[in-house]
Amino acid sequence: MENSAQQFDAQVLSRISTLKLTAMNLVEGLLTGQHRSRHKGSSVEFAEYKDYSPGDEIRHIDWKVAGKTDKYHVKQFEQSTNLKCTILLDASGSMGYQSPLKEQHSKMGYARTLVAALSYLLLKQFDAVGLTLFNDKVVEHIPPRSKASHYQHILHGLANISPQGTTRIDDVLGGLAERLPGRSMLILVSDFFVQNQDLQKSLKLLCSRGLEVILFHVLHPDEIHLPFEGDIVFESLEDDPAVGLDPKDIREEYQKTIQNHLNSFKKDCNGLGVDYVFLDTSEPLDQALSYYLLKRKSLIKL
Amino acid sequence: MSLNFSSPLFLYGLLGIAVPVLIHLLTRRQQKHIRFSAVYLLIQSQKRSTRKSRPNRLLLLLARCLAITLFSLALADPFFSFRQSEAFLRPASIVFALDDSYSMGVQAGKRTLFDHALEFVFEGTKQAPEKSEYSLVLASSPARIEKDWTSDKTIFEKTLKAQSVSFRTTRIGDAMDQAINLLDSAKQKKKQIFLLTDLDKNGWKEEAFSKITAPYPVKVVNFSSLQSGDNKGMVKSIQISQEFLTRSRLLRVKAEVRNFSNTLSRKPLSLFLEGKIVKEELLDIPPGQTLAHEFSYPLRRNQPLNGKVQISDDALTTDNSRYFSFHPSQNIEVMVVDGDPETISHQSESFYLERALNPFSVSLSHIDPTISTLAELPLRNLSDFSVVILANVRELSPGYELELEKFVLNGGALLFGMGDQVNPKYFNEHLGNLLPIKLDSQYHVKEGALHLLLKNNTHPVMKVFSPKELAEMREINFYSMYTIQAREDRIFKVGTWFSNQNPAVIESNVGKGIIVLFLSSLDRDWNDFPIQPTFLPWIQRWTQYSARGLDSVFWQSLLVGEPFRKSTSGSDSNWIVHAPDGTLHILENEVFSNTFQPGIYHLFFLPSSETSSKTLEKIPDGAEPAGTFTVNIDVQESEPGKISQKKIESFLAGMKIEIQEPHSQTTAPQTSDGIPLATPFLLMVAGMFLLEGWMVRKE
Repeated sequence: MENSAQQFDAQVLSRISTLKLTAMNLVEGLLTGQHRSRHKGSSVEFAEYKDYSPGDEIRHIDWKVAGKTDKYHVKQFEQSTNLKCTILLDASGSMGYQSPLKEQHSKMGYARTLVAALSYLLLKQFDAVGLTLFNDKVVEHIPPRSKASHYQHILHGLANISPQGTTRIDDVLGGLAERLPGRSMLILVSDFFVQNQDLQKSLKLLCSRGLEVILFHVLHPDEIHLPFEGDIVFESLEDDPAVGLDPKDIREEYQKTIQNHLNSFKKDCNGLGVDYVFLDTSEPLDQALSYYLLKRKSLIKL
Repeated sequence: MSLNFSSPLFLYGLLGIAVPVLIHLLTRRQQKHIRFSAVYLLIQSQKRSTRKSRPNRLLLLLARCLAITLFSLALADPFFSFRQSEAFLRPASIVFALDDSYSMGVQAGKRTLFDHALEFVFEGTKQAPEKSEYSLVLASSPARIEKDWTSDKTIFEKTLKAQSVSFRTTRIGDAMDQAINLLDSAKQKKKQIFLLTDLDKNGWKEEAFSKITAPYPVKVVNFSSLQSGDNKGMVKSIQISQEFLTRSRLLRVKAEVRNFSNTLSRKPLSLFLEGKIVKEELLDIPPGQTLAHEFSYPLRRNQPLNGKVQISDDALTTDNSRYFSFHPSQNIEVMVVDGDPETISHQSESFYLERALNPFSVSLSHIDPTISTLAELPLRNLSDFSVVILANVRELSPGYELELEKFVLNGGALLFGMGDQVNPKYFNEHLGNLLPIKLDSQYHVKEGALHLLLKNNTHPVMKVFSPKELAEMREINFYSMYTIQAREDRIFKVGTWFSNQNPAVIESNVGKGIIVLFLSSLDRDWNDFPIQPTFLPWIQRWTQYSARGLDSVFWQSLLVGEPFRKSTSGSDSNWIVHAPDGTLHILENEVFSNTFQPGIYHLFFLPSSETSSKTLEKIPDGAEPAGTFTVNIDVQESEPGKISQKKIESFLAGMKIEIQEPHSQTTAPQTSDGIPLATPFLLMVAGMFLLEGWMVRKE
């Protein structure tokens, strides 16, 4: 009963429809830069010839070319389908940050739209998309499916998120690494406000399993610039102790700290071959997305 | 060792600390609560950040508070005393010599100098260490010990509360003498005299200090610096006289007013009669000068008048008014019985007596004589007369002596004059109840051999005569007189003696009345007295005196503290004094000493049987007004001069003198006793302001 009540919650439904519309609008505009697989395989679309080597499929030998050149060449095709993508969305308390200064997108709203857009994009390409929500553990898991109707499940999952609890990304990734199919894609959307956690190790583990990992680092401008004034008691959205201070006193230091945090993250990701995308919630999501897709396209072409 | 302050009043400035605290509280920003995601990063940043503005604000508040504190402390003139604690711990015997003379009544703000001095003593006893003992000497004239040694602060404070400024003059010398006597018997080793005065020069008489030799420390606290205004003037003296015109009489009140200020002063001078202002004049008195002004006031009725002359108020109000009492002489009805009427008028006694008692056609002497012969005597009503003069009467009609006895017992006066007609046998036999003596015999002398012996003029009748007049009276020749013998158990006084050691005038009280005997003739038969100018006042004064002539009372004008002496010799009847403060006193031994309040004192006569108690709450029934006398302040105290420190030191040579201002408390040590801290405190204030400025700039 409770579940059904939740499902038919008017607020959730409206959120779903808005999300769907927003995501669809976003993706339709982006279709020019379609997602492409880096994995090559059997397909109708010819890619290139390769010298035959024992073990290659005999049916892929181009006999016409063998007749002309007396050499065995094997046709290769581009594999463009059957990608399994799991989107991991951080649903910890810190993702629920809402600025007290002005009415803006909450961080979670921004991330939710991002996930919806990515899901739509992938499903549009007939890739399988799954969604996992986590904080210190996996809160909800929707396995990857490529059916168009699966989008609705994902939207439901997104709409029902209420950010709470602490973030334990390393534990969650450690658990997931075992279960995720190899050579699939993992999109991780989080603010990465994690303390004392070896995120690099977990990412390394995923990469070693042949997973393509993309990190979307979502931060609110307040979290970057700390624009507050006056005597303020900062209460944590997770489990940190409250702290009273004048932001003016530590602004410079804080900005330096957060920049170091971002830079080290970026550096780690580059080192592991992980795609790292930083998203500021003040930037329009389509811009961020298109920028990223263009970048990926150029990478593939290379 | 302790921190002390010369001007502790400035410590109220510490309340100023509230200002920066208020500013801090009012400008404190409202603390907001924000739910934030990266709190752990904030904590890390805070740990790394060197800039902390909140502690700065607290430091700023601290600096400001400290600056105000130090500034207040610096103004209070702090100093470290090493002597103080020792002095505070040891109990002491302290004599407070408090000047309560009227000059201490000068205004100092809303209170008087005396109030400040009392407060000083209060504070002194409060601050004194436990087991200290105190005594109080009042330094006005006469200096007196108001409270002997006591260690009980409550009792001592009670004594203090009962004190008020007096109307007396200052007697510092005597007060110091009393204080030294007290200290000689003090229990504690540490001894101290506090002399609380306005240093009025008048109170420091050199001769009073001649015997003072004691090594006790004296702190002279000079309160004159507290006075809020100057004593600008005073009524110096007042004289009353009566002037006779043809139809009416005038009261002349001559007042001398002194201007103490350095400028020409316009002072309104008012004449009050019976509590009402009747005349007012504006006097322009040059600086430092005395100006006399005479008021004339017509006397409409023959009634006594009491009043005062007053100038406008200044810082010392006590010397701005002076009281007077005026009693127009009442006519005394006198019957002169001439026992030897002559056909030649100037040979009979009545001729001289009538002219002497009432020299002018208009009754100006207030004595109204009626001449009667012996034959007419029984027809007269004796109660119509106050005085009966029997001049050269041989003998009275039978039984008439009883009438006379009754007359005297009821308060009448009987005057006898001798002469050839006088029959001593009759006098001795029939008038024995009246006369305190027996007439002996006629005594004849040669011309120039007998005179009046006027050695001293203490008798009320005689005291008005000047030495020159007395010398004239001594020259008068007497040829005959009666010698007398005293009767047993009878009391009489001799008013005047002859040069041959015989009494000339004797007097005796009988009942309420009086008998006066002149042992020579009242005409020229036995002497030349009646034709001498002194005869007139002499016989008038004896008549007034015997009629209980009250002039002697009316004209008594005393200074504060001078005892009032009743000049008329009284019987054992009671006299009551009604003081200006409303209290009633019974006159004892004919002297009234409690004249410490200026004003008009009323005297009442009360027959002896009608009172027994010593204290009176109201004037008893039957008491008759018997006159007034005035008491005024001694204006010497008003003179504005102050005694110099040098003089004080010379007067109190051998004593350790310290002259201080009243602001520094009784037992608190002086700045000279310790290390002054005002300058370091001020430097610290400057330092605090620099620090504050630096912090504000930094923020």
